Order: sequence, then C-alpha cells, then structure tokens
Amino acid sequence: MAHINPAGTFNRSYAEELRIDRTRRDRWLKFALFMALLLLPFLSPSGPLGMDWISDQVVGLVARMAIFIIAVQGLNLLVGYTGQISLGHAAFMAVGAYSSALLARELGWSFWAALPASALLTGLLGLGFGMPSLRVKGFYLAMATLAAQFIIPWVLRYPMEDLTGGSRPLTVPAPMVGPFAHYAEDTLESGGEFAFDAGDPFLVDVITLQVDGDGAQTLEIELLDPAGRAIPDGDVAMTAQLDAMGRRIGLRYIASKPGQYRAVLRAAADAQGWQVSLRRSKALSFATSTAMYMIIVPLAVLLMLLARNIVRTRAGRAFISVRDNDLAAELLGIHVFVAKLQAFFLSAVYAGIAGCLLAFERNSLSLDAFQLDVSIELLAMLIIGGAGYPLGALFGVGFIRLLQEAIIPWLRPLLSDVLPQLFPFVDAVNITSAINPILFGGALILFLVLEPRGIAHRWEVFKAAWKLRPYSN
Amino acid sequence: MKKTTSLLLTLLLVLALPATAQDMMGYPSDLSECQVDLSGQTVRLFHFGDLSGPYAFITQPIVAAMTDAIAYWNAHDGICGAQLEQVYEDTGGNLEATQSAYDRFTSEYGGELDLLILYSSDDGELLREQLAEDEIVSIISAGSIASLYGEDGQTPGWLFASNPLYINQFGFFCQFVAGSPEQFPDPVIGFVTWPNAFGLSGTEQSVDDFCGELGVEVLDEPQLFLPTDTDIITQVQNAIDEGANILYSNTLASGPALIAATLVDLGLEDEIRLAGVNWVMDTSVGILGQRSQKSNGLPSVDGMLGSMPFQWWTELDKPAVQFVTQQFTANSRGPAEQNIAYLLTWGVVDAAIETTIRAVNEAGSLEGITGASMKAILESIDYSVLGGLMHQSFADGRRDGTHNRIAVMKFANNSMSGAATSAEDAMLIDDGAGGKLFVPLVLPLTDFLPVPQLR
Repeated sequence: MAHINPAGTFNRSYAEELRIDRTRRDRWLKFALFMALLLLPFLSPSGPLGMDWISDQVVGLVARMAIFIIAVQGLNLLVGYTGQISLGHAAFMAVGAYSSALLARELGWSFWAALPASALLTGLLGLGFGMPSLRVKGFYLAMATLAAQFIIPWVLRYPMEDLTGGSRPLTVPAPMVGPFAHYAEDTLESGGEFAFDAGDPFLVDVITLQVDGDGAQTLEIELLDPAGRAIPDGDVAMTAQLDAMGRRIGLRYIASKPGQYRAVLRAAADAQGWQVSLRRSKALSFATSTAMYMIIVPLAVLLMLLARNIVRTRAGRAFISVRDNDLAAELLGIHVFVAKLQAFFLSAVYAGIAGCLLAFERNSLSLDAFQLDVSIELLAMLIIGGAGYPLGALFGVGFIRLLQEAIIPWLRPLLSDVLPQLFPFVDAVNITSAINPILFGGALILFLVLEPRGIAHRWEVFKAAWKLRPYSN
Repeated sequence: MKKTTSLLLTLLLVLALPATAQDMMGYPSDLSECQVDLSGQTVRLFHFGDLSGPYAFITQPIVAAMTDAIAYWNAHDGICGAQLEQVYEDTGGNLEATQSAYDRFTSEYGGELDLLILYSSDDGELLREQLAEDEIVSIISAGSIASLYGEDGQTPGWLFASNPLYINQFGFFCQFVAGSPEQFPDPVIGFVTWPNAFGLSGTEQSVDDFCGELGVEVLDEPQLFLPTDTDIITQVQNAIDEGANILYSNTLASGPALIAATLVDLGLEDEIRLAGVNWVMDTSVGILGQRSQKSNGLPSVDGMLGSMPFQWWTELDKPAVQFVTQQFTANSRGPAEQNIAYLLTWGVVDAAIETTIRAVNEAGSLEGITGASMKAILESIDYSVLGGLMHQSFADGRRDGTHNRIAVMKFANNSMSGAATSAEDAMLIDDGAGGKLFVPLVLPLTDFLPVPQLR
C-alpha cells in the first residue's frame, strides 16, 4: 500500500520520499526501541549486572525469535518480494549451521570468521537450488526447492557423517573475542601444580599450558575445576600436538565458572629436560544465552534494515517487478533469471546466518532441528506476518511464538477436556497430540481466509488511519 | 478412547485381582532413613518433555503417575516430613520449547533446581552441556550415547539413564539371537527405523561389529521412514531383499505397529521376525498392532521381540508391580494410562526421592543440596528401584542401565492363563464401538543379564 505521511508532512524530493524514516520522531522511536532491546539482557539475573527485573527465559526467547526473524526475512526476500516459493529454507539453515560449526571445530576458525563464510557458502548453495527457477515456477518450483529439503539433510547425515556426526549432535564452541590481555605467567621445571583464580561468565580466563622439552611426552596434565573435579578432556582444546621429537605440547581451557582452578602435573620419575609454562589471559565469552543475545539482536536489526534497503535498490525493484509480472519485467529490460538468482542467493545468505546463530546460541547442533516441518513453519510465519512487507517477518515470528508459548499452552487443558467428549470415537491421546497442529493449522487457515496479506498489512492500515486522523475512520 | 478403555479396564481387572485381593501393601522400596526433619518444607520434582507431540502415546501418563506418586507420598508425611510438588511443562517435542522450558526452570527456580527429570534423547542431547554448566543432575529413562557420554562416547555427563543404551540393547538382542540357533539359524538383521536421534541411536559400527563376531549379520544401511509415514512397503522390502530375516526397530507406538502391518501386507509375517528396543513392548504397540492380523488371526505384533530392562505390568508376583497396580486402581486411572510411562515414572520418582534423602542427610538441610552432591550420590548409588522394578548403579563412570532381558509380545488366551496361539483361542473383549480387541501380554524370555558395553 502507498506510504502515507502524517498530516502536514510533505515530500519535497525523491530522496525524502525514499527515506525509511520520514520524520525525526520515527527515527527516534526506532532508536529508542533498539536501545530498549539492547538493554534487555542487562535487566536479567544472568546479565552482567545480575539484576532480576526480566527473567532469563524472556531474554533467551527474544534471542531465538530474532534468529527466526532473520530466517523469515530471507524467505521474505524470495517469496514476498520476488514471488519464488521455497520449501527448503530449513535445509539452508542447516548448511549455515553445520558449515559454521565445522569451521569453528575442525579448522579452529573464530565465530566472527565462520559467520560470513558460512553465509556465503549457503548463498552459493542457494544459487544452485535456484537454477530450476529459470525453467519452472509456482507449484513446480516449490517441488524443486523441496528437493533441497531432502538432499541437504541426507548429505549432512550420511556422506558427511564423519564430519557432521550424522544423527548424533555436534557440540559447538562458544563465540569469543580475544584472548586480548595476558596477565599472568608461571613456569615449573619439576612436577607440581599451578593454582589460580579464574572464571567469569563474560570475561573468561583462557588458560594456556605450554610444555617444552624432550620429556614433554612423559607428562600427565590434569585440570581441576573449583570443586576439585577433573575437567573432561573433551572440554580442553589441544592447541598443539606433540611434535615429532615429543618436545612440545599445549592445551587451552576456557574457565567460565568463578573459583580456584588447579593444573596438576605429573611426570615420570626419570623424566627430565622439560619446562611447563602456564599463561593466563582474558577473553570476552559469548557462552551464555544472555551474551549471545548481544550478537543476535543487533545482527537481526541490521539484517532487517539491510533487507529494507535491498528492496529499495535497483535489484529490489527488479524482484518486485518479477513477482508482479515476470513477462512485463522482461519487456522492461530486467534480466528475470538474474533477479531470481539474486533473490535465491540473498535468501540463502539470510538462512545461513540464522542457522549459524542457532548453532552457536544452542552450543549444540542436531539435524532434527532442520526438518521439513521447520521449513513449513517458516513459510507459515511469513504468510501470517505478511509476505512482501518489511515487518512481515517480525509479526509472523512474534505471532507464531505467541501461539506456541502462550495461546496453545493456555488452550490445551481446556481442549484436552472438551475434544474427547466431542469426538468419543477418537483415542484421547490422538486428540491431545493433534491439538498443536490443529491450532497451528487453524491459525494459518484463518489468516489465509480473513487476512491473506498478513498482520503487517493490517498494521499498515492501522498506521495510515492513525496518520490521517482525524480524517480517518 | 472407549475401545481402549474397555480393553484395558478388563485387562486391569483381570490382572489386578491378585493384587487387590490382599490388603493395600506398603511401599516396596527400601529407602534410606531420614536424618533431617524437613517438616513444613516443599521438595519439588522438576520435569519437562513431550507430552503432546510425537511421543505422546508413551509420555502422556507421566503426569498422572507423577501426580499419584506425589499424592501417595504427601498422604504418608512426604519425604522426611517435606511435602512433594511437581513442576512440569509440555514441550510438544519441539526443541525450541525445550530450551524455553529449561530457561524458565533455571531462571524461576535457580538454586532449587538440582535434579531434573527428562523424557527424550533429543532433549538430553540439547541440554547436556547446559546441565553440566549449571550443575544440574538429570534422570532420564533412556538416553542416547551423545546425551549420556558426549560426542566422543567416553565423557560421562550429568544425565543418568535407567535403561541400557540403545546400542547395548541391540547388542544384547544379538546375544539372544546368537544363543538361539534353533530359532534363528542364519540370522541377518535389517534396521528399519525413524531418521531422528532416537531412531538412529541403535545404529553404530561398534554394535554391528559385535553382532558380526557373534555370527549375527547386520545390514549396512538402515531403512528409514518418518513417524508420519503410512506406507513403508519399499523400506521393508528393501531390507528383506538385502537378506534380512529379522527386522529391528528403534521406534515406538505407531512405528513397530506399521512395520508389523507391512510384513502382514507382504505375506511375510511368518518368515520375518520383528524385534526392537524396549519401547516396542509398550501397551500402545499392542493396541495399534491390532489394526492388522497375521494368518493365524492374531494381531500383527504377536511374537514381536523386544528389550524389557524393567519389570512389567503382567509380573504381578513382583512387589513393585503389585504396588503400582494397586495405586493405579486406587486412583481410578484410565486404562490408556496403564503403559510403560506410568510404571517407569513411579520408578523415577522413587529414585529421585532416594537420591534426595541421601543428599539431605549429607548436606543437613534441603537448602544445602547441590547438583554436584546429587551427582556424587548417583555415581555411587547401588539401588533396587521400587524394590525391584529395575536396578540402578552408575559406578565407574557408567550413565546407563546395566541389565536387560528379552521379552515377547503375545496376546492373552481365553482363560487368561497364558498366550493365545490363534484368534480362536484368544481372549477378545468389547471395544465399546461394536468391535473386539485382543489383550496384549509381555512375556519375559530371559532373566535380567548384564548388557554388553558397546559405545
């Protein structure tokens, strides 16, 4: 719908007409909202200030909603703005999640490098699955993208099992900035132990032990946590293996719990010629949900703004013209296939970013999180929120989460009592397990029938009426 | 609902007779003595998981059993004087909801949350690292290798499972097959299962190798189907074409029932043996398996083999089963609740109570309990849950059940004295909708024996 300015605000140039925030008040309102969002984790118990105004659950929920907003915004670029249906979006999220996790685990890349790399890789894969859009569209294209939903998880589960663990979950290392400050160093030349205070959920201590010398391979090193329990080998990263002469070994551990840690070194009685140095340094950790929030939410806002800007560019206008009438678009000189491929690429990049964030937020990755039902849920979020509207993703994710977290749990006890009486011929267990999909499907049907353009459209109507007051009804 | 109600009410009445004929028995478990008085305090049992999603057939009676167990304890002066209360959430099998529930529990109950009861491997896998980080012990009925022992399969975590690992159950089944050459002269097992963490958690090279050494061949590739699939002829036929004469499944409820029905459709129910993980022995499978009948007229799941690492409803000579059956009857529970979950939940509550009492005795107060102290207690526990329902021992870094046995699913005969050999011989009861239903029985074929360690 046409953009309506508040009464008394006139556009005097194209630049003014194209501005996202036409008035200063809009700009400040959005900035205030963004700042409020950023402040949210500081008000939670596990935030840096340890306040108890907002529960950690709310912070975690907003962070996970933001991840899905990114994914749905990507789908919006493809489905909402370009008119190309996709049923394989969850599979692209899986590519982003697994590629970033593997880059971090296997190659030791930091999250900050793995994020763009996995987004790019997912984008390129999206290009590949977008190729059929040259020849097919509509229902047939949906079937082609559905192939991605089957092929990608299969490839990740079987041919790549050695890397991905197949059906087993992968542990994903927490994002970290640093280590950026060395603050202590000790050296030992005989058996013994280091004791050191360390640990904080945000500013973690990175413990690096370096063993040099011919006798290095005879050493046993055990790290003990503040409770005196041995830290499992799996939690300790080996920074360097013994070299061919058995002279050097290194290990690194990130201590996130406060307290006194100990590194106990045991050497064989006849061992000699080695030296152990322990170095402690500080790093900023994003291991907790609250800390990940500080990455996810700003990134989601940034990507929402980016999507908003993309549709204002030449490429974005091409997307819209392809969606509205691809023949007319071609006659106007738009390279339809290129426009479609660009949309597939961008959509997959967004999915890749969302997948990467999901993996690092959960610290655990499983293929079960990227099944076909997730692709359908993402599409449903877009339809309910409003395909082709900048805020469609926000409203769609918000509504579905509200439905899942509040409305369905509230209705379920009531429906569990009533429905078995209405349908006595159906097993009660069948009815209970059907309540979720029934309410989810019912909401989708209601929106398709009553407001096919989604909540965002209704929001635009409401905004227009507000701006035109007192001349609106 | 009506049909299962009639079926199981009849079953219950028949089976519960010996138990109800005597006085209400006392609690069968030999719990530790309380050394601390907790009067006026509340001990909360925290649990969450799928109650309305794909596993609803199994998990729904969990809340009922937990409610009954808590009511029983509160009527008997609680634990060391403290009243019990359950705090739970239904996650519908959605991992997002699992994370959200965990966040809610940890933020709302903080230090009070030292022990959490979980139901699903997927939830266990998702929360494994977080539980360790937050120092919260979790009791789960059956966890995957990744949830119990980490990615490398060698790092025991904070989750403790009462049942043996699925690969250990499968290895145990191979031992049974290898030890029964008259039944299985040239055994070849084809895995037909769901493509999720639970479904595939029985497929590992280590167990294939173990079975191979016993002379039991396991086909390389598992045949996969979705829980929502209704036609799996291709998958079953593929496994048989590759040489399988035993189909093994890591599924539950509709999963084994669908495989059994497919074997009937293919006319192979007498040639191919069906077997599976402990969940295939559940009542839900016995009922769902009646939608298709074998050539002898009995339900398609008649003769299906499976793990049974705990005592079952039909073993009414056992004090634990007698007690749970009495409580079930006394609380007028619906027959659909007479399943594996109701039985095991009583066991899980018993284990949680025993752990809590020991922790309170050590700490001197309820507030003094920590997740770490709970973990230390579980690591050293050697306890007969509910006086014999199952055995719990997590020594030497073990995080899963140590013993198992193989059972067979049969259907009761006319006199309820044993298993029917044909439809004519079987007890049929009114299903409330003009039809008839068979009464499922689970009969142990072996004693409780140690399971092999195959992770």
